[in-house]
Amino acid sequence: MSQGLSRKIIEYALTFLVIVSMNFFLPRLMPGDPFTFLSTEEGSITIIYTKEQIDRYKAYYGLDQPLLRQYVTYLARLGRGDLGYSIYFNETVGRIILNRIPWTLTISIIALVLGGLGGTLLGSLSAWRRNESMDQGLYLIMIVCSEIPTFLVGVFLLFFVAARLRWFPLAGGITPFANFKTGFARFNDLAAHAFLPIMTLSVTRLADFYLLARNTIINVLTKDFMRTAQAKGLRKRRLLFRHALKNALAPVVTRAFLSLSTVFNGAILVENVFNYPGVGRLLREAVIVRDYPLIQGVFLFMTVTVLIMNLLAEVVYKQLDPRVN
Amino acid sequence: MRRKLMNCFIFIIIAVMCVNMSGCIFNKKSEKASADQQPLVINLEGGDWGYPTPYGHYQRGPGIFKMQLLFDSLLQRGEEGLIPWLAEQWEVSSDGKEYIFTLREDVKWHDGQNLTAEDVKFSFSYFAVHPPVFDKLQEGKGNLVAAIEVVDEHTVKIVVETANATVLERLGAMRIIPEHIWAKVDDPKKFNTPEAVIGCGPYVLKAYDREQGAYRFEAFSDYWGPQPRVDVIQFVPVSDGILAFDQGEIDLTSVSPDLLAKYEDKKEFALKRNPAFWGYRLIFNMEKRPEFKEESLRQAIAYAVDQDELVEKVARGAARPASAGYLPVDHIWFNHEAKQYGYYPERAKELLEGKEYAFTLLTGNNNAELRIAELLKISLGTVGLKVQVKSVDMKTRDAAVKNKEYEMVLYGHGGWGNDADLLRSLYAREEGVGCSPSADGIPGYTNARINELCQRQLREMNPERRKELVMELQAVIAEEIPQLPLYNTTGYIVYRPEKYDGWRYMFDHHEVTHNKLSYLEFK
Amino acid sequence: MDKRRQVVGKLKFTSRLALVILLVVILFGLGADLFAFHSPQLPSGPALEGPSRVHWLGTDDLGIDLWAQICQGARISILVGFGVAVLAGIGGGLIGMLAGYYGGCIDRLVMRTIDLMLVLPDLLLMIVLGAFFGPSISNIIIVLSLLSWAAPARIVRSRLISLKQEQRVTAAYSYGAGFWHLTRYHFLPELLPLLMVSNIKLVGKTIVAEASLSFLGLGDPTAKSWGIILNHAINFSGIYFTPYWRWWVLSPLVALTVLIAAIAVLSRDIEKIINTKI
Repeated sequence: MSQGLSRKIIEYALTFLVIVSMNFFLPRLMPGDPFTFLSTEEGSITIIYTKEQIDRYKAYYGLDQPLLRQYVTYLARLGRGDLGYSIYFNETVGRIILNRIPWTLTISIIALVLGGLGGTLLGSLSAWRRNESMDQGLYLIMIVCSEIPTFLVGVFLLFFVAARLRWFPLAGGITPFANFKTGFARFNDLAAHAFLPIMTLSVTRLADFYLLARNTIINVLTKDFMRTAQAKGLRKRRLLFRHALKNALAPVVTRAFLSLSTVFNGAILVENVFNYPGVGRLLREAVIVRDYPLIQGVFLFMTVTVLIMNLLAEVVYKQLDPRVN
Repeated sequence: MRRKLMNCFIFIIIAVMCVNMSGCIFNKKSEKASADQQPLVINLEGGDWGYPTPYGHYQRGPGIFKMQLLFDSLLQRGEEGLIPWLAEQWEVSSDGKEYIFTLREDVKWHDGQNLTAEDVKFSFSYFAVHPPVFDKLQEGKGNLVAAIEVVDEHTVKIVVETANATVLERLGAMRIIPEHIWAKVDDPKKFNTPEAVIGCGPYVLKAYDREQGAYRFEAFSDYWGPQPRVDVIQFVPVSDGILAFDQGEIDLTSVSPDLLAKYEDKKEFALKRNPAFWGYRLIFNMEKRPEFKEESLRQAIAYAVDQDELVEKVARGAARPASAGYLPVDHIWFNHEAKQYGYYPERAKELLEGKEYAFTLLTGNNNAELRIAELLKISLGTVGLKVQVKSVDMKTRDAAVKNKEYEMVLYGHGGWGNDADLLRSLYAREEGVGCSPSADGIPGYTNARINELCQRQLREMNPERRKELVMELQAVIAEEIPQLPLYNTTGYIVYRPEKYDGWRYMFDHHEVTHNKLSYLEFK
Repeated sequence: MDKRRQVVGKLKFTSRLALVILLVVILFGLGADLFAFHSPQLPSGPALEGPSRVHWLGTDDLGIDLWAQICQGARISILVGFGVAVLAGIGGGLIGMLAGYYGGCIDRLVMRTIDLMLVLPDLLLMIVLGAFFGPSISNIIIVLSLLSWAAPARIVRSRLISLKQEQRVTAAYSYGAGFWHLTRYHFLPELLPLLMVSNIKLVGKTIVAEASLSFLGLGDPTAKSWGIILNHAINFSGIYFTPYWRWWVLSPLVALTVLIAAIAVLSRDIEKIINTKI
């Protein structure tokens, strides 16, 4: 077991190295550099640097050195945990990402939990009453929901709930500079801003978990031991929850870990729609201004998190389902 | 058991929603309460533009104007021209190389210390070693300033290398930083403690939230100059400006012409039309396509482009057609007698003499530029000029402009109201003098008369004579038309005059919120 | 042909409806010029008009007919969707087949790469690669194919490995049958249904990916896909206050939703049918 685990870790480490290298070279191959801003959006302004100024800044940030030397410096710094210094935002990359992570993680995790719980419950219900009209209808709706891109749902909610009905704020994570008299008031404000992004993200998750739960439980319900239990006369609810769900737990939980990657994808889109101050919006801004260290930092953070989640998923699966060798 | 769980679940969801909605109402109430109190708080559209020190604000965007609320300069841009600010008066020597500024005596820094001539000398010397983001002192590889001398506690003498007409404005635009704080800073880019925002300007930075893009400025009670009318300026994040303005979250926003009807003729709202200092232009690369060296071809293109159609369809009326002499209609030295082309496709065809050409037009990927490119393609097509549109993202297009990899390129930028010397950077081809990337603007083009006029206006110290030279320069440029300015956007803003009505423009800028004087009691 | 008819025959009512919708969209996409009487590029009427007899869905802010743009968008969606499905599906399937057949270190290398590709968040890669390659429809197809070949490859490979063990295959191999013979007579008939299912899913995923990219402003702006129309509509300042949103925002939104839903329903059903047959 330990040999298998160490082999796995080596594989993951290799994957990590490939990702890091790709991460380094890709942004630098993009046309344009971080200092050349000639044009702007309408009505906006920018400061145009002369060639001498750009050379000076390039020297300051070490961008004038040969590519390979920059690569080695990057790896060395990474080993020390230094993610670099953002050219555009004028702050260490680590600190920028650290400040934004809580926002993204909060909405992602809450959406995952809500979607997971809701989906599993609905899925088990559906599986229990499979092929009845409720199940058919729900199944159809859920298929559609699982495929719809998150931003469509987000735009829809933005329009109707936020703009037309004015129930929720349109932008930001918290009302800035408001003096909250109590912690409760502050929590309220945070929740109001986070509500729509969370709802948007959880719709797809809900559908996904619903389908998974439904399939898994149907599989379990048709197994022989379930028939035995039913024949023994056990109450329906006990059957469903004690036996069926327990057996379905393994795939659902591992799916939860694995779907973090999809949730990140969703978070990128949702944060841009709702102007939410998370890591997803940071990435888009960084790509637009070609801030290499920041793009690398965000990319690295996301892929490392997803890799760790995958590793955890495998470990958890082994624990939950001892049948797997 | 199952039913209980379901019920629990539904109950939790409903409870969370109720709590959220009550939270929203609760919040609105607390905001209203603060508005009834005494201090005048103005809320404006935010966004993260960097920590407002001369080194910390971002290159792009209005971060520089937030920094200028905190830091004053020797001269200030007023509604008609430059006005004395930290420098009460100044003298220029006859050879134009020595500038003696007499400073005010009652200027205090935010931390209570007095501003002296030493601070001014320190600022310029420091900027020579550590150039700030907005740096007007660079001159090629060197610095504009040759020497600075402190004459007495409130007088400074600055000696420049070569005399020219832009020196005063450039010297006057640099911010003054406190010596007692910055003298020990070796890496100004990384200096972002609260000390870094201590300046002598009318406002003090109280809060900056990078993730939300929010700033809070409070008036400085010991300010030497015109007293701040606004007590607190807050920049808050918004998703849609009009919606936020409607709900009272912000107090001023820009309005698209389609929505003007909502605010016209209503007493509670006031509308202003911005001056036209932002615009689009079309550059011809004469190195890649030497056909552009024919003046008749360029003039034909100018006749074939319908500027009014662009203004109407792309800008929806919120723009003015650009002048062929480059300086826009609202520029203080605009030449209204320079040749204007208008839309005359038959004349264009005459000039082309039946020849057909095919070009590639490079453009960015924002909405307006694509629309302009589409319309240009159609109108140029009717006179026999086939245009193929290639669209890339903004950074790629900027890199292509810098590296001259295009045949025709369309792009938009601000700063059309700046000092007329910008014509020299755009149109003159000279060796050695520091040209910025957008300034090496027309590849393959050089015209002796334009070069000569540019040099003369640079050296001419008398403003009247210089203005005449610039007028003549515009006339020649309009005739030659080596690049085609398309239109200058204006745009409208709306605000509530009851709450605050001090908004005004600088003589060369298109945004009232960027003007320090908008917030001060200034006659 | 038989098998296909069998599959179609077994489709439920909802899937048949979905198939019809899909065919309608393909029809409008391919024949965009026939169904729309105005040009999708040139202004043909006053701007921001509501639906009328001349302009069925109204016009956008430049006066360009919206219905024509929607038809054009259908063509882009079909082009991108099927283009990527063909490239990634066939390419990925081929790679999977080769990996499964030859085994050894080729197989291990391919498996590692597949695992890597499946792990990375693809929108992230798309944004960075999109900015790198530049936004044009052909580049988008290439980028999306590069990111999507892993899933079909994995499916094909695992099926091939189990096929390799079957008696009839080992028998044919011992008689000297080569790779191509085995492929034609033994592998393809089993693999084609699998590929078909994964291809349909790929079409759906690609359309979603392209719409997401366009919505973020990173798509090809000269090709008016539905995502781009939606992007323009949302970024029109003050859209919430004008009545224009009703057709300008809703048409691409509804079009996207309907198409994606149809593909989703269809693919689930076909997958179920094919799985039960196997």
